[in-house]
Amino acid sequence: MKKIVYKILFTVLIIGGFTSCDKELEQIPYDQFASENAFVTASDFENGIRGAYSALTRAGYYGSSDAGSMLSLPDVISDNVTLAQRGRRTKRYLHEFEYFPTATVRGFYGDAYTVIYRANNLLFYIEDFEGENRANIEAEARALRAMAHFDLVSVYGKIPTQSGDANGSLGVAYVTEPDPLVEPARVSVGEVYENIINDLTFAAANINANNDPGRLNKDAVNTLLSRAYLYMGQWQNAINAANNVSTAIAPRESVVGIWDDTNQDGLLFYIPNEATVLNLNIGVTWSQGNVTTLIPEYVASYELFQLYNDEDIRKEGYILPAANNASNMEFNAIRKLFGRPGQFNGQVDIKILRAEEAILNKAEAQYELGQTGQALTTLNQLRDNRYTSYTGGETGTALRDAIRLERRLEFAFEYKRFFDLKRWGLPIQRENFGDLADGTGTPSENLNLPASSFRFQLPFANGSLDLNPNLVQNPGY
Amino acid sequence: MTTKFSGILTLLLAFIVQISFAQEKTISGTVTDDIDLPLPGVNIIVKGTNSGTQSDFDGNYSISAEVGQTLVFSYLGFTTQEVAITPSTNTVNLQLQPDAAELDAVVVTGYTRRNQTVQTSAVVAISAEEINQLTPTTSIDNLLQGKAAGVQVTAANGKPGQGAFVRIRGMGSLVAGASSPLYIVDGAPIREQDLASIANEDIENITILKDAAVTAQYGSRGANGVVVITTKSGNRNTEAKVRFSSRYGVISKTKDNFSMMDAEQKMQYEAELFALGVVAAGSRPGVTTAPGSPERQFLLDNANDWQDVLLKDGIVQSNNVSFSGGAEKVDYFFSVGHDRNTGIIDNINGFERLNTRLNLNFDAKEWLSVSANVGYSRSLSDEPRDRNNVQNPFRAMYIYNAYEPEFQLDENGNPELDANGDPIYNPTHQGFSIRGALLSEPENTITNVTLASVNTTVKFTDNFTYTFGTAINHVNYRRESYSKPGGILQNLIGDPDFPGLKTDNGAQRLDMTLSNRLNYSLNSESGHNLNVLGLFEYNFNENNFYRVTSRGFPSALLTTQINAAEVTIGSTNRNRLTLLSYGLFADYNFREKYLASASIRTDGSSNFGKGKEFGTFYSASVGWNIAKEDFFAVDAVNDFKIRASYGTVGNRNGIGRYAPQDLVAFGAYPGGSATIPANVGNPELQWETTETSNIGVELNMFNNRLRTVVDYFKRNTTDLLFTIPTADESGVGGIGGNLGEIENTGFEVSLQGDIIRKPSFTWTMGGNAGFMDNKIIELPDGEDIIPNAFNILYREGEALNQHYLLQYAGVDPNTGAPLYFGEDGGTYRFDDLPESESDNRVLTGKSSIPEVEGGFFTNFSYKGIGLRADFIFKAGNYINNFNRAAIETDGVSPNGNHHVGAFNYWQQPGDTNVLPSPIYRTEVQASDRFLEKGDFIRMRNIVLSYNFPSALLERSPLNSLRVYVQGQNLLTFTEFFGDPEVGISSGETIDFVNTVAPGEATLFSYPQTKSFQVGIDVSF
Repeated sequence: MKKIVYKILFTVLIIGGFTSCDKELEQIPYDQFASENAFVTASDFENGIRGAYSALTRAGYYGSSDAGSMLSLPDVISDNVTLAQRGRRTKRYLHEFEYFPTATVRGFYGDAYTVIYRANNLLFYIEDFEGENRANIEAEARALRAMAHFDLVSVYGKIPTQSGDANGSLGVAYVTEPDPLVEPARVSVGEVYENIINDLTFAAANINANNDPGRLNKDAVNTLLSRAYLYMGQWQNAINAANNVSTAIAPRESVVGIWDDTNQDGLLFYIPNEATVLNLNIGVTWSQGNVTTLIPEYVASYELFQLYNDEDIRKEGYILPAANNASNMEFNAIRKLFGRPGQFNGQVDIKILRAEEAILNKAEAQYELGQTGQALTTLNQLRDNRYTSYTGGETGTALRDAIRLERRLEFAFEYKRFFDLKRWGLPIQRENFGDLADGTGTPSENLNLPASSFRFQLPFANGSLDLNPNLVQNPGY
Repeated sequence: MTTKFSGILTLLLAFIVQISFAQEKTISGTVTDDIDLPLPGVNIIVKGTNSGTQSDFDGNYSISAEVGQTLVFSYLGFTTQEVAITPSTNTVNLQLQPDAAELDAVVVTGYTRRNQTVQTSAVVAISAEEINQLTPTTSIDNLLQGKAAGVQVTAANGKPGQGAFVRIRGMGSLVAGASSPLYIVDGAPIREQDLASIANEDIENITILKDAAVTAQYGSRGANGVVVITTKSGNRNTEAKVRFSSRYGVISKTKDNFSMMDAEQKMQYEAELFALGVVAAGSRPGVTTAPGSPERQFLLDNANDWQDVLLKDGIVQSNNVSFSGGAEKVDYFFSVGHDRNTGIIDNINGFERLNTRLNLNFDAKEWLSVSANVGYSRSLSDEPRDRNNVQNPFRAMYIYNAYEPEFQLDENGNPELDANGDPIYNPTHQGFSIRGALLSEPENTITNVTLASVNTTVKFTDNFTYTFGTAINHVNYRRESYSKPGGILQNLIGDPDFPGLKTDNGAQRLDMTLSNRLNYSLNSESGHNLNVLGLFEYNFNENNFYRVTSRGFPSALLTTQINAAEVTIGSTNRNRLTLLSYGLFADYNFREKYLASASIRTDGSSNFGKGKEFGTFYSASVGWNIAKEDFFAVDAVNDFKIRASYGTVGNRNGIGRYAPQDLVAFGAYPGGSATIPANVGNPELQWETTETSNIGVELNMFNNRLRTVVDYFKRNTTDLLFTIPTADESGVGGIGGNLGEIENTGFEVSLQGDIIRKPSFTWTMGGNAGFMDNKIIELPDGEDIIPNAFNILYREGEALNQHYLLQYAGVDPNTGAPLYFGEDGGTYRFDDLPESESDNRVLTGKSSIPEVEGGFFTNFSYKGIGLRADFIFKAGNYINNFNRAAIETDGVSPNGNHHVGAFNYWQQPGDTNVLPSPIYRTEVQASDRFLEKGDFIRMRNIVLSYNFPSALLERSPLNSLRVYVQGQNLLTFTEFFGDPEVGISSGETIDFVNTVAPGEATLFSYPQTKSFQVGIDVSF
């Protein structure tokens, strides 16, 4: 009998001591936070908008994806660079115009829509928020959403001025709700631009004149707006928006330092890139190694290199004489993302918008309106700050070409060239120069893309098409 | 009460008798089995005392006993016999009779241990003896291959210590980790990738539970089958037995069944390409140097075989010692072991493991017994990069050209030296010397695993017992990755102000199970045997991770973070998953003739939506052993059992631990925190359920010489858990959900026969095969699903894991251009393909899953000499051979090396059976051109062994001595280009845990190895 008491006592003790109850099934994450609690206070929304911006640094957007990103694509598909045989031959399919639904920049596509989702998500929660800085954050979110759609439509759709049928052709889906289940159809290029203008106009009216580095501000939004109008061929609007940009362009003596982050002159929107915060070696998109061990992916095309005359400070600022001594090769390396002083790790701030663009947008729009005198004055504003001396005084198409040339020189390796050629209805024509510093070496394989080619609109990835039954592929693919 | 009384009376009488006639004498004899084979290791104890012994290798024994005492002879799988000692007893030669259909037929279904004879469901047990024959793999899962019908095993890759993908009866889920079986070691769940922490030498039994009648006992997690691993224990009343086993051998890469171009061939190929207009070949030495020129000769003189440079013949080594034994109330097993496999990459080490274990069972009181199984292991592994880029040595060994030297050479062909006098590695055309990087970019992992399981059993009555058990699996994992200052990577992307970059990250994983079990068992004399088990269990799983990265190291010799100038990343993470279970299981048999079992179990898991946490799973099974019926009088048939089972089992893997909740995470962005939407919650998430029906027949004939098991099963999995990818435009990636239904059906046969069974000569052959079929019955909204794989698509009504590709139609004999099939069935040049919504891709009907898979063996033994060979085979699966695509590029990548077959391109009209002309390199597009049949038969293992006869050992202190030579993967029959045993394609692209379609593609993961080893097993 005593034994049975022991047994029961023993059993009860262990059962009582170790048994848990149903409450253990309620688990809340340690590393994450319920969304509904994450967008309440003013500082929550500050964090939220930074979260939306941070998607810009993803590999496919302004990161250095080997498959190509906004950081590299518009120059890789252009005449500004030559494939370096010494390198890893990344992004070659873009450079050689061999992109297909099976090989395209899907990373960029997804990343741009991630920016859009995060902006929309914030806009959803901000409706119930009446606190400090609301208008500014709402403006930032809408500007980001517009910017991402603008980049998307530039890559996948036609640009209104590119051809007569552009506005009616399919652009991209313009997404304005944070709906995870959305399977949107593409809308016309005209409709996409209408939405972009709508968002940017709201943003320009509501955003702060100054925000922290890494965030958009009034000048940045107006520059984007002037670009949108320029792409649409609404010249006066482009001029008006550019006129709203008050930041001065970088003076000549600052030009070299902008690219190694020793000054920020003329920068309207850039993302600081510190080792302890973002720590992105974005420069690997162009090269790895130092000036004597360089392994370039792409080099400045010899044609472009020759266009920079010795009076032009940008020759020093944008192009780096470098070599791979082990292979006895010398290169015109791309300096814009090479590194800070003493560095070759490709870790520099991500520069996205500069005041110089407003000037060049304006000059181009003025020319198109026939205001050639004003256009020349505007253009000279930039040239005065780049050359020790230049001839100038162009008129007629020579002026147009001068504006276009200056745009190419100013924004080489800065995400514009492909779009510019595209909207001007011009072909891509590469000179048959090799990849070495003196133009010898191996040239890129496919040199030309006719202006009429369907390849000016990139294909959607098969994977994207499979997931969204409403997505229609571009013609030709 | 009466029985108890009479028992006591008997004891009392025996005691009196003993006093009266106590007379000690030595009894000796030989124990044999039913066919006169000597039985070693039979336990012989003097009943009611502590003294006992074991028979030796030849079945001989000798023991002291007193007249009137009783000797008890027991051996697993045989009927225990008792022999009383009379004054005239001097010799007892005994023949034991098998008590079950199979000698090794003990199956461990986790909560219970039973005999195969009364089993009503499909289970396969692998005994210690068999494991012992196959030991040279460091991971248990590899060892399961070819051992059990319906168990599909795909070796992940050849990396030392790497495991395998085990799929029991097909894919029960659309997510990788969720298709793995549940592994239980002495009651503690263990992750598939941690299996390498268990020493083969410690394993007593591996039981694979295939159908729902038994897996339902694991309700929540048994949907994909259960592998129950039981470690060894000692025998009671025996003196300590010491066992020592050791082996040593060499391993090397399995030889390629193709040849790479040598320096001369590659340069010729480059010249040919350039002549055909491949501009990029213009910078290659085949174009820039003239044949016969001194420059060309220089390259030829310094040519390399990169496989020789990068690889080595590695060493495998294993040493294990164990002690086991017991007294009347206690038994123990203790072991310690060390294993090493250096792998085949020169410049780094492979895998090394130290393990130790103590298993103890003791009766604390008459009504209280305690058992404790505690094992610890520490594994070290050097990690090469496993990705499709320049940092992967297994890619480099194919892509580097033979004319590229290991070091940068001066004009005399001597290596150039750096400032420290060390030779400078040649970055090659890849811009990166993997040779140097293996030294300057080391990465290694250290995994400490502690497995502890403690059970306390209270015996209320003979029928009722209560057990409280705790089972703990604790993994302490650390990874270190160092980019040394001055190393290859630092010179490419380093920061001169902060030279060197180091990451330490790690995990503490705790899995704790507390279980309460109330057991009722009844074995009535009238033949009714009933066992009922009630279960209440709580499982708690917590992971803690940390990561620190810093930069700026003053010396490459300093590796700890304290030496760094600046921390760039520091983070910790934690997550939890809990499970609460109630179960009731019952087994019944009547004289082992009529068998039945049933179970019900309710599980609640924390990763499901509110109100959806609980799922209820149940099973029932029946069996009838016709051979035990009186009316069945066929002498040739020993057992003829028909069984059927049906049941449901759950699964909770495949989604995040907090998938039902809407969540954000926080990152960093200039200015402060950044809120990042992290999870779109699905509050409707619930259990995935698998329903299995099974019909089986077991037939043992001719004195159990021919043993056959046949099973047919049908498994339907519904409410599949899956992260459903959303449209790219949604910007969220995917949402966890329950979607659709898949069905696996299969037919399994295993056959084993003793062709010769004589005392000195046996020859056994056996084999098994599983024929599998599967189908996706339903997907949400009927829409196709693209999993995280290379070219796999899931579509309703179609088989799983099919490759979804454009179809290659060969080369146009007139032009040399590659042709492809359009959706309309016509053949086209790539640019002329008709517009098609699917881009002319089709579900090829070719899947990564084999249609049939299995193994067979042959085992001779003649007077102690043994020869055993084990084969595995697979057929009907297709592998996308990206390895071949990378070395057969038709001019797309002229810089890298190619295989010799690349010369066979179209040259003139009429050429057939050729590769496309490099002129059309832009038309070389992803297609099924490199999709190859993965069929193979491989001799996994061959062992020649010799057991020294006890006559020879008599004068030595040894009980047994076995020496052997062993070879692994020595023979392979396949038409596949390369090694057909493919699991992981590229470990850093899709890692082990995230692999949905094992074996879908090759992409330069660690290749398979072969080995030769010699070994010795000693016991005394």
